[in-house]
Amino acid sequence: MWISGSAEMDGPAPAPLVVIDRLSVDYRTALGWDRVLHTVSLEIRPGETLGLVGESGSGKSTLGLQCLGWRRGLRRQAAALRVAGADLDRLDTAGLRRLRGRRIGFVPQNPTTALDPAWRVGDLIAEAVEVHGVARGAAARDRTARLLARVGLARPGVAQSFPHQLSGGQQQRVCIALALACDPDLVVLDEPTTGLDVTTQAQIVALLARLKAERLMAMLYITHDLGVIAALADRVAVMYAGHLAEVGDTVAVIGAPAHPYTRGLIASAPRIDGPPPGAAPLTGTLRRLALPPGCPFAPRCDHAAPGCAETAQRLAPAPQGSPGHRVACMRAAALAGDGDGRPAAARLRTEPSTFRDPVLTVSGLSVAYRPPGLLARRAVPVVRGAAFTIAAGEVLALVGESGSGKSTLARALIGLVPRAGGTVLLGREPLAPGDRARSPAQRRRLQYVFQNPDASLNPAATVGASLTRAARAAGRTGADLVAEALAAVQIDPGQAGRYPDELSGGQRQRVALARALIAEPDLILCDEILSALDVSVQAGVLALLARIRAERGLALLFITHDLAVVRGFADRVLVLFAGTIVQEAAAAALFAGARHPYAAALIAAAPRLVPAARPAPQPEPPPPPAPPAAAAGACVYLARCPHRRSVCGESPPPARPLPGGGMLRCHIPVDELAREAPDSRDGPGEARH
Amino acid sequence: MSLAEPAGRGRRPWSGALAIGATLLGMQVLLAVAGPFLAPYGATEMGAGPPLAGPSLAHPFGIDQLGRDVFSRVLHGGHVVLGLALSGTALGVAIGAVIGLLSGQAGGLADEIVQRGLEIFISVPFLVLALVAMVAVGPVASGHPLTVVGVVALIYAPRVARIARAAAREIALRDFVLVARLRGDGPLRRMWSEILPNARSVLLVEFALRASYAPILVGSLGFLGFGLRPPTPEWGLMIAENRALLLVSPWTVLGPGLALAVLVVGLNLFTDGLARRLGRHVDFGVG
Amino acid sequence: MFLRLIAGRVLQAAVTLVLISLLLFLALEVLPGDVATRVLGREATAEALEALRRTLRLDRPAPERYFLWLSGVLQGDLGTSLVSGRPVADILGPRVANTLFLSAYAFLLYLPLALVPAVVQAIRRGGWLDQALSVATLVLLAIPDFLLATLLLIGFAMTWPLFPSMSIVEPGTDFARMLRLTTLPALTLAIVMAVYALRMLRDQLIEVLQSEHIRAGELRGLPPGRLVWRHALPNALAPALNVTALNLAYLVGGVVVVEKVFSFPGFGTLLLDALQLRDLPVIEATVLMAAAIYIGANLLADLCAIALTPKLRDAR
Repeated sequence: MWISGSAEMDGPAPAPLVVIDRLSVDYRTALGWDRVLHTVSLEIRPGETLGLVGESGSGKSTLGLQCLGWRRGLRRQAAALRVAGADLDRLDTAGLRRLRGRRIGFVPQNPTTALDPAWRVGDLIAEAVEVHGVARGAAARDRTARLLARVGLARPGVAQSFPHQLSGGQQQRVCIALALACDPDLVVLDEPTTGLDVTTQAQIVALLARLKAERLMAMLYITHDLGVIAALADRVAVMYAGHLAEVGDTVAVIGAPAHPYTRGLIASAPRIDGPPPGAAPLTGTLRRLALPPGCPFAPRCDHAAPGCAETAQRLAPAPQGSPGHRVACMRAAALAGDGDGRPAAARLRTEPSTFRDPVLTVSGLSVAYRPPGLLARRAVPVVRGAAFTIAAGEVLALVGESGSGKSTLARALIGLVPRAGGTVLLGREPLAPGDRARSPAQRRRLQYVFQNPDASLNPAATVGASLTRAARAAGRTGADLVAEALAAVQIDPGQAGRYPDELSGGQRQRVALARALIAEPDLILCDEILSALDVSVQAGVLALLARIRAERGLALLFITHDLAVVRGFADRVLVLFAGTIVQEAAAAALFAGARHPYAAALIAAAPRLVPAARPAPQPEPPPPPAPPAAAAGACVYLARCPHRRSVCGESPPPARPLPGGGMLRCHIPVDELAREAPDSRDGPGEARH
Repeated sequence: MSLAEPAGRGRRPWSGALAIGATLLGMQVLLAVAGPFLAPYGATEMGAGPPLAGPSLAHPFGIDQLGRDVFSRVLHGGHVVLGLALSGTALGVAIGAVIGLLSGQAGGLADEIVQRGLEIFISVPFLVLALVAMVAVGPVASGHPLTVVGVVALIYAPRVARIARAAAREIALRDFVLVARLRGDGPLRRMWSEILPNARSVLLVEFALRASYAPILVGSLGFLGFGLRPPTPEWGLMIAENRALLLVSPWTVLGPGLALAVLVVGLNLFTDGLARRLGRHVDFGVG
Repeated sequence: MFLRLIAGRVLQAAVTLVLISLLLFLALEVLPGDVATRVLGREATAEALEALRRTLRLDRPAPERYFLWLSGVLQGDLGTSLVSGRPVADILGPRVANTLFLSAYAFLLYLPLALVPAVVQAIRRGGWLDQALSVATLVLLAIPDFLLATLLLIGFAMTWPLFPSMSIVEPGTDFARMLRLTTLPALTLAIVMAVYALRMLRDQLIEVLQSEHIRAGELRGLPPGRLVWRHALPNALAPALNVTALNLAYLVGGVVVVEKVFSFPGFGTLLLDALQLRDLPVIEATVLMAAAIYIGANLLADLCAIALTPKLRDAR
């Protein structure tokens, strides 16, 4: 019996669509050949979705490209590389061209750069159809229209649009339509939702689930996000440093991971449905230049035995015994069923009872944006009347999608962006709207850490120099300051003489943190500081932040779009939509109790790892239009809210107090919303959005 | 046909550019400095041989119509061209860099005004501007080496300022400059500690790039008769002076021409190699 | 909205030109002190100096002189030549026409000279042909335009007299003869421009060929010919226009040198003569015209680039 999509069939399994047997790939570099894939063997059956998971540097994208026969800049060795019956290794260029786009489709990671900016998207799709001889002229245009409708872009005028006129999510739908244009047997998707909003991501995943159910089409879905795998993939393959670590049915691999790396991945991913007990997140980073001859994961593995680093690992049936589940770890049997004997990860949150005076008090804060140009145009409100407090030692999370105004709010607090109104108090002192008017003491007490670690350190200054300058500005002197600061963020003090480009992304972000900490602030504004980091690195930085905060009683305003982080780390949460705070609540209460419809939508859209409740494919809801500038008298969420009533368009909703503290802005009474709220552990099929 | 796939081994074609360029340049500098001492005849010494005589071992580039040995004149002229070119460029780059960096960091109205001002100078074709400047300084100053240096600087400063401003603006937007601002560093301090160190490679390459065209600019002025006055052995001037003898004794023109070309090739290679080493990209020409 | 953009740019250009005229006036008539002495030299007699001062209206204050001159220019009166006494517009007209002919011819020759090697180099990047062409370009770059012109003159007008050595154009010269007279100077200009542009074009083409959307097209199975012609080149047009605009900067100045070498009666030689003789009205008019042509050509290139780039069209 074999499983395809949502159907189970009897009879002998049909021949696999993709056969990869002992494939090795080397890339040419300035220093010679670099092995990126090591004798990988995989199969994909017709109609099956295989998820390919790994962090950056694992070789997953390379493997995806090999399914299209890519040859440029590399050399390949394979016992077999067959897709749809064709031998990709031996096929000539013309033959490859016939296959690509016709029998094998590809959805790239970045849709914006993948679409020709000088072509209308409808023409691009029609071209794909015509070049492969599937249809011509009017028939091609017809097919284009149907494809666009199928991917949720039925709105008239889309086909005539240029790529830059579409949003990121719409561009990715166009890329999916392009990949499907000629009805391929296999579609390779290379991290198609990275860089998209969490709500957009959920929509794309729902679209793919629907397409999968409608067509007998195999998919190779490459991602670093386990949650998406759980939602889409029948089987999953885990890769590490070019080796296949584990492969098997999704349920088996995620429910009972056999390889220590898989376990670490699962534990590292901040999960909205809570971490499994006893799981330890990943530590360290992948060092491609220092891989041992045996198991590549050995340097980072908590369970490595002396022989692991020397012995080459081979795929063997996993101890838990589900069919097809194989793992490349010689210690798998020893580790099976072990839980793993380590104590549960320390809870990242501290108890709220110890919070004292407010460190930051904000009331009526508004920020407006004046479009540039000589013609005086009206200012657009970006943040409307925000009001909240942060107590000493508290972590307040600020959550919202891109464009919600969260970064603008933070920049207004730090004084980089002018205020249109409102007051901000640091302790008891009012903060001037502009940073230039603030006192050195105020600057020291309020620190800011930026999102992008590549841009936040001066590339021409050593780590030590940057830290020294920060210390001096804060009025601190001393010989050991730099060493102390680096040690506090778990960086070897010997690295002080290095330049930022010699450090990894995670290390740079730690240095940025150290720079903020060296001033001994009361409050740090963290502006999406984890978004640019790999999943496995994020967990480490978050744990560090939790520890430092506990040690120093530091308050944080933590801006993020990742609700899973909020659940595990924050004390209270502010939910921001179109510049308005629609809910303020204790973190636990948000996930368990009454919630604003937008907060409900965010929670429902967050990917989950528990694969049990596989969502039934639903007709996809029409994509929400861009929120229009809310009329002065209406609720900002009106356009998207599934519960809207007539009163919502007439007057702004009142701020209703919540039983456990906090407030919620909605016309619907709180207890009604509390009844609506399902248990947040359920899959995305449950809450309507 | 494969698209943009390296047809060769993928080795970068100019790995030796910096070395070759530096060598050529080094030789030129040596010759420029030592030339006047090595030259068999003086720069203005007439009667070195029969006028219009062709090339020979004693006179590799022949004799011009005034009886001067062209080869010696070329050797004497090395330091003239090199000196004028390099000092004019240095002056232009220094002025341009200061204006550009300050303007780029300041932003706002001041920046806009400076940009408009620079645009005026850049919008007049450079050779035309140079010629007009030469005439505008009056008959006494025109023909003086310092005037030539000043004119070269006048041509280059606005262009360098534009590049420096673009670099400053791009750097000023990066988060680490914001961090410096948030901790209370003033604009001058930020310019010095954060922006300038990151603009160093841009400015260095600009200098090399402009310096590589400067000999041609100086030569053009000399050729047109608006550069240094005769009997200075400036190569462009020599080419103009000896043009009439082309059919009779072409080496009197080719000699200085070759010298100029070798100098510029050396400068170009050096600039290209330097740019690659610093990870930057250059487009030759005045621009 | 495109019209609004054009209007804005034209306005900007006009302002720049006015500012240039101010700069010119200051440089030539205000700063140098006694203009009359400058023009006539130190040996001039007192009466000659007086006469000149009256002609130039030097008794009036400078701002008034400037506005008189500027309003004259805007109405088409470019002043009178100090040397020949004829209206400047009459002198300038035919010279500009000649130079425009020469420039157009040079541009037509430049296009294949630049584009063909650029495309070849881009497609065969890294190969021996690419490297050979790069070396050749580097060497040619080092030859100053005046030297190149002189060499071509010896080569093709003297040694092998294929073309006349002096390009004297009389009014009424027919088209065929015009072509013969202008071939060598146009060729010189074309070679210089092509050599400067080649590197930039090659790099831009390579960048377009390596862009992500081309790779995405390959992965869709689009044939290479189609990718180059329908997807790469259209995206390369806008940056290529930019390169062309840069070349125009060179062209307007380069004609000066080339016209001198070939004795071609264009506005380059006019300018040189006027500068030698300190014929201020002619200098001012010619420089202003040069700037106007340069700014106009740049503006055109800019607008074409915007018209060709869908993203920029919508940006305003």
